[in-house]
Amino acid sequence: MAKNESRIVYSPTQKAIRAVLWVVLAFFAFLVIFPVLYIVLGSFKENAELLRGGSNIFPSQWVVKNYTDAWEQANFAVYTKNSILLSLGVMVGSLIVSSMAGYVFSRKTFPGKELIYSIFVMFMFINVGSVSLRPLYELAIQMKMNKSLWAVILFSIGGGQATYIFLCRGYVNSVPRELDEAARIDGCGFFRIYWNIILPMLKPVMATIAILSFRQGWNEYIMPMVFTMTNPNLRPLTVGVNLLKNAGDGAAAWNIMFAGATIAIIPILIVFCCFSRFFMGGLTAGAVKG
Amino acid sequence: MSTKVTYTDRPARPRDKKMRLKESGGVSAGLMLLPSIIFLCICSVYPFIWIFRYICYNYNGFKATYTGVRNFTRMWGDAKFWNSVVTTFEYAGLKLIFIIPLALIMAVLLNQKLKGSSLFRGVYFMPTVISSSISGMIFTFIFATGNGVLNGVLTSLGIISPQAPIGWLTDVGVVMAAVTIMSVWGGFGNYMLYFVTGMTSISEDVYESSRIDGANAFQTFFRITLPMLAPVLKVVLMLAITGAFKDYEAIMVLTDGGPGTRTNVMFLYIYKLIFANEAGSQAQIGYGALLSVAAAIIVGGVTIIYNLVARKLDDVV
Repeated sequence: MAKNESRIVYSPTQKAIRAVLWVVLAFFAFLVIFPVLYIVLGSFKENAELLRGGSNIFPSQWVVKNYTDAWEQANFAVYTKNSILLSLGVMVGSLIVSSMAGYVFSRKTFPGKELIYSIFVMFMFINVGSVSLRPLYELAIQMKMNKSLWAVILFSIGGGQATYIFLCRGYVNSVPRELDEAARIDGCGFFRIYWNIILPMLKPVMATIAILSFRQGWNEYIMPMVFTMTNPNLRPLTVGVNLLKNAGDGAAAWNIMFAGATIAIIPILIVFCCFSRFFMGGLTAGAVKG
Repeated sequence: MSTKVTYTDRPARPRDKKMRLKESGGVSAGLMLLPSIIFLCICSVYPFIWIFRYICYNYNGFKATYTGVRNFTRMWGDAKFWNSVVTTFEYAGLKLIFIIPLALIMAVLLNQKLKGSSLFRGVYFMPTVISSSISGMIFTFIFATGNGVLNGVLTSLGIISPQAPIGWLTDVGVVMAAVTIMSVWGGFGNYMLYFVTGMTSISEDVYESSRIDGANAFQTFFRITLPMLAPVLKVVLMLAITGAFKDYEAIMVLTDGGPGTRTNVMFLYIYKLIFANEAGSQAQIGYGALLSVAAAIIVGGVTIIYNLVARKLDDVV
C-alpha cells in the first residue's frame, strides 16, 4: 500500500480534495467515538454534575468514587466475575466443539453428512426470536442447572456454534490432505491427526473464533437476563448495569450507571484494540463461507 | 457413528480397500462430532419443535390448556401485534435507508487510502463490538431530555432553546429518529467492512484506466465501483434486511417499546408476551409461540421477496 501511495502524484486540487475528505473522515470518527468518550469521561463526574447535564463532556472534577461505589455497593465485583466466567466458558467451549466438528465435516465422509450439515445451515436462517429461550429455560430448571452459570454458557455455545464450525471447516479444507496421510502412515489415528497435525495449523482461525466467541459471551444479554431473574449473584455485567437502570429511582444513580457501563465496555474495547484484525478478519471470512 | 455398517453394506469395488484405509477412525469421528450434534439438537431443534407444540395452547408457564384455533383468531384481531409488525417495517426501512448508503460512502472514502485510513476503519468498526444492550443504555443517557448531552450540545449551539428541549425518547414524533441513530451507530461498521473488503478485490488497473479516460469521482463510483461491488452489495443487503427485522435488544433497553407502543417492534412484543416482565401480567407462551412463527414467516417472506427482486435486477442489468 505504501508503495502505491508514493507512486501516485496528486495535483494541488486533488490534494485539497483529499484534505477535505480526511477532515470528513476525522469528523465522522469523532461522532462515532463520541458516545463511548461521553460514557467513559462521564463516569468520572460527580452525580450532581451528570444530573445538571450540559454540553461539556469533561468532568469539572475527577472522582474515582463512582467506581469504588459500583464495585462494592452495586455488586459489580460479582457481575464482573460472572462476565469473565461466562465469556471464557463460551470461548473455550466454542473452540473445542467447533474445531472438532469442523475437522470431521472437512475430512470425513459418512452417510447423512449433507443432511446434518444442511440442518446446521437451516437453523442459522430460521429465527424465531426470544421464544426459543423459554424451552431452554424450562429445561435448565428441570436439569437443576438454573443455580449456576453453566446453563447460560452451554446454551450460548450451542447458539453460536454453527458460524464457527463453518469457519473451521473452511480452514481445514485448505490444509493439504497429504499431511493427514503422512501422519497416518506414521501410525496416527483419526484423533491424533486432529490433535497433533490439524489443531496446530488451525491457530489463525482458532484465534478468530476465540475472539468472536469471547465477545459473544461478554455481550450476551437477553439469555442471562432471563436465566438470572431470580438469581442476582449470577448476573453478568450487561444484565447488572441494565437492571440498575430499571431499578426505579429515576436518575438518582447516574454516576454508578456510567461507571458500570464503562466497566462493561472497557475490557471488550481493549480486546478489540489488541486483536482488531481478528474481529475484522472473522467477519469477512464468515461472510464468504456462511 | 454408523460408518462401519455402511461400508460393509457396500458391494466390494476395487476402490473400497483404499476407501476403508482412508475412512478409518469412524468411532472417534463420531465422538468428535457428537458435542456439536447434541448442541444442535438441544439449542436449535428442540426449541423449534417445542414452539409448535404450544401453538394451540394457552400456556402461562405452569398450566397448559388446549384452546384450538383461539390463538389464531386472536392473532387475526390483535391490533397491537399488527401495529408492531408495521413498526418493525418502519424501523427496518429507516435503518436500511441510512445504514447502507452510509456504510458505502465511508467504505469509498476509506478506499482513497488517505493517511490513517486503517485507524479510521478500526474506529468505525468499534461500535459493533459493544453489546447492543450497553449501547442502548449509553444512548438513553445521550438522548435524555433534561440532562442528556445531545440536547446540551444542541442548546449550546443555539439550535434549540433551553426551555424547549427535544424529548428524544418521550416524544412520539422523534423517538424513531433516536432509535434509528442508535442502530445505525451500532451496526454500520459491519457493512462498511464488507464493502471495504469487496473493494480491495477491484483491480487498481480499472481505476487507472478510468482516470486516463477522464472519469470524475462520481462517474468512477457509479460506473465502476458500484457495478463491480454488486455481488457484495447483494449479500450485504440480505444480511442487513434480516438483521434489521431481528433487532429488538437495543430497542428494549433504549425505549422499551415506548413511548406508548411507538417503537414496539414485533420481536419485542413477543418477548414481553413470553417473559411477562411487567408486574401483574401473565406469560402468554402459547400465543407468543404462534406470533413467533408468524414473525419468522414474515421475515422469511421479506427475504424471499428481496431475493426475487435481486435476481430480477440481475437479469435487467
